[in-house]
Amino acid sequence: MPVQVNTFGPLEEVGVCTWRLPRTYKPGMRVDGMLFAHPDQLEAILADRAVEQVANVAFLPGIQGASLAMPDIHWGYGFCIGGVCATDPAEGGVISPGGVGYDINCGVRLLRSDLHLNDVQPHIKELVNALFRQIPTGPGREGRYHFDQPMLKRLMREGPRALIERDLATPRDIAFTEAEGRLAGAEPDRVSDRAITRGLNQCGTLGGGNHFLEVQVVERVEDRAAAAVMGLSEGMICVLIHSGSRGLGYQVCQDALKMLRDAPQRYGISLPDRQLACAPIDSEHGQSYLGAMRAAANFAWCNRQVLMAQARHVFERVLGRRWQDLGMELVYDVAHNIAKLEEHQVDSARKQVMVHRKGATRAFPPGHAELPAPYWQIGQPVFIPGDMGRASWVLVGQPGSMTKSFGSTCHGAGRAMSRTAAIKASQGRRIENELLERGVVARARGWRGLAEEQPDAYKDVDIVVDVVHRVGLSKKVARLRPIGVIKG
Amino acid sequence: MYEYFEHTADVGIRVRAASLEELFAEAGAALMAFMLDAPAPGPTATQRTFELAADDLEELLHEWLSELLYTYETEHLVLGDFRVKLRDNALTAEGWAEPLVPKRHLPSHEVKAVTYHALTVQQGDNGYLAEVVLDI
Repeated sequence: MPVQVNTFGPLEEVGVCTWRLPRTYKPGMRVDGMLFAHPDQLEAILADRAVEQVANVAFLPGIQGASLAMPDIHWGYGFCIGGVCATDPAEGGVISPGGVGYDINCGVRLLRSDLHLNDVQPHIKELVNALFRQIPTGPGREGRYHFDQPMLKRLMREGPRALIERDLATPRDIAFTEAEGRLAGAEPDRVSDRAITRGLNQCGTLGGGNHFLEVQVVERVEDRAAAAVMGLSEGMICVLIHSGSRGLGYQVCQDALKMLRDAPQRYGISLPDRQLACAPIDSEHGQSYLGAMRAAANFAWCNRQVLMAQARHVFERVLGRRWQDLGMELVYDVAHNIAKLEEHQVDSARKQVMVHRKGATRAFPPGHAELPAPYWQIGQPVFIPGDMGRASWVLVGQPGSMTKSFGSTCHGAGRAMSRTAAIKASQGRRIENELLERGVVARARGWRGLAEEQPDAYKDVDIVVDVVHRVGLSKKVARLRPIGVIKG
Repeated sequence: MYEYFEHTADVGIRVRAASLEELFAEAGAALMAFMLDAPAPGPTATQRTFELAADDLEELLHEWLSELLYTYETEHLVLGDFRVKLRDNALTAEGWAEPLVPKRHLPSHEVKAVTYHALTVQQGDNGYLAEVVLDI
């Protein structure tokens, strides 16, 4: 008797919340596509055309395993958002700037504290206003800390460890940052003058779009042991920061797309989408992009570090105690737009592969050598921001990520409404007041920022997190609820 | 004439014009109007000239909008009223430029980049059409 296989459009169910897009779907695919999603999400995902992009990524030379998509998948440029792709340099594998995105090393970091909700609630308005005044947000705002060009190049080469001498970072902060905030092989001299000019005054600025800084409270702990190792408990105040490499990184990506315009013909690569431009990792073009991309990634870690330093100073001023005495330690910092050389098991071999994570987060399991010692037992912390009215999640990496997704998991809720639809839906409403009724004090530069980023504009982050938990890519540790938000 | 169209997390600009020159001028105006609520010149406006060249018209449109974005972001200059001349995929444009005064020009959106995604410049029966998606 034939085995019944559930299908949904071109997708075949091959496991719990796991869907295969067979390579026969589109001639030219070198591997299958593999999508992790709840069955209820599939209709929306297929309508969005993002699955077409999963198929297109499967064309990339040297791709290993499968072209992967996380449950927060949505339509992007070339790559879908929520896409993961590993390529093997030894098999002519390519590096693709579209697999990293314009905001190189966009990511999130979480700070804990010894403060309880009751300590902060009476000061929350003052705290949010002070954060909003101190931290440059939105378009055209320059950073408070100035780094001249030689120092900027050091930041790009060394990452946030170069900020220790300026009292903007501690050795512990560095130890609790992915890759210790420094990708080897960064070549600031490959970063164009235009990119440097865009980045000169932007270290320590939040930016616009979906970037934010949130004061949150740990609402529910699901894994007490893991939470304890991270220093998290119910009722505790945390700060979640979401930003990236600012104009410097955007320009590095743009420069690379221009440089690689003719690369597919030059290297004999056939691609279904120009935005997938790529070059072999071992080529001059590939190395040039990698050198600049790593420099931009290191700059992004410096940006989030300086943002955190400013947040600590604001807490000190408002609460009248040193940040060290408030226990405001960095839990971890993770990138979700990046490409890194990592060792992975592919079929029966250990291989060094270039893992592209475009809107996906690294999620190494317990025991991984790249984790700081305290996290060996529990796995790597992962932070999944939801929308500003509902929740964000703390997860830890699980062994399933190493067998199923090249050590990766999801990165966010994903948008449910376009920006124009969100603006329309906000007509006649005061989003700021609505948030206040939900217990969230929010400040943004203009009304549009809040309207476009309103809670209803996002999908429910709980569903996304539930999928990666059930698939075994990462495990739920704690759910955090925002109480204060600043945005661009 | 321009309008904005939806693209999941981002936004697109669709421009229609009788000539290619107007098409490029309108695209520039659409970009500035997306980034600022009031991109109008004030008393300190001066003239600014741009000269660019590319391999084809789509690349040229990408270069043009990227140049405006770069000038706005790095020099904090608001730009407008573009008069564009095109010849063999090369562009000369003039317009006013004025230092950004946030309280007057009202910045509304930060644009990360002008993408190549679905970038198009086409000639139709009644003139020209361009579409470009901005990453925000």
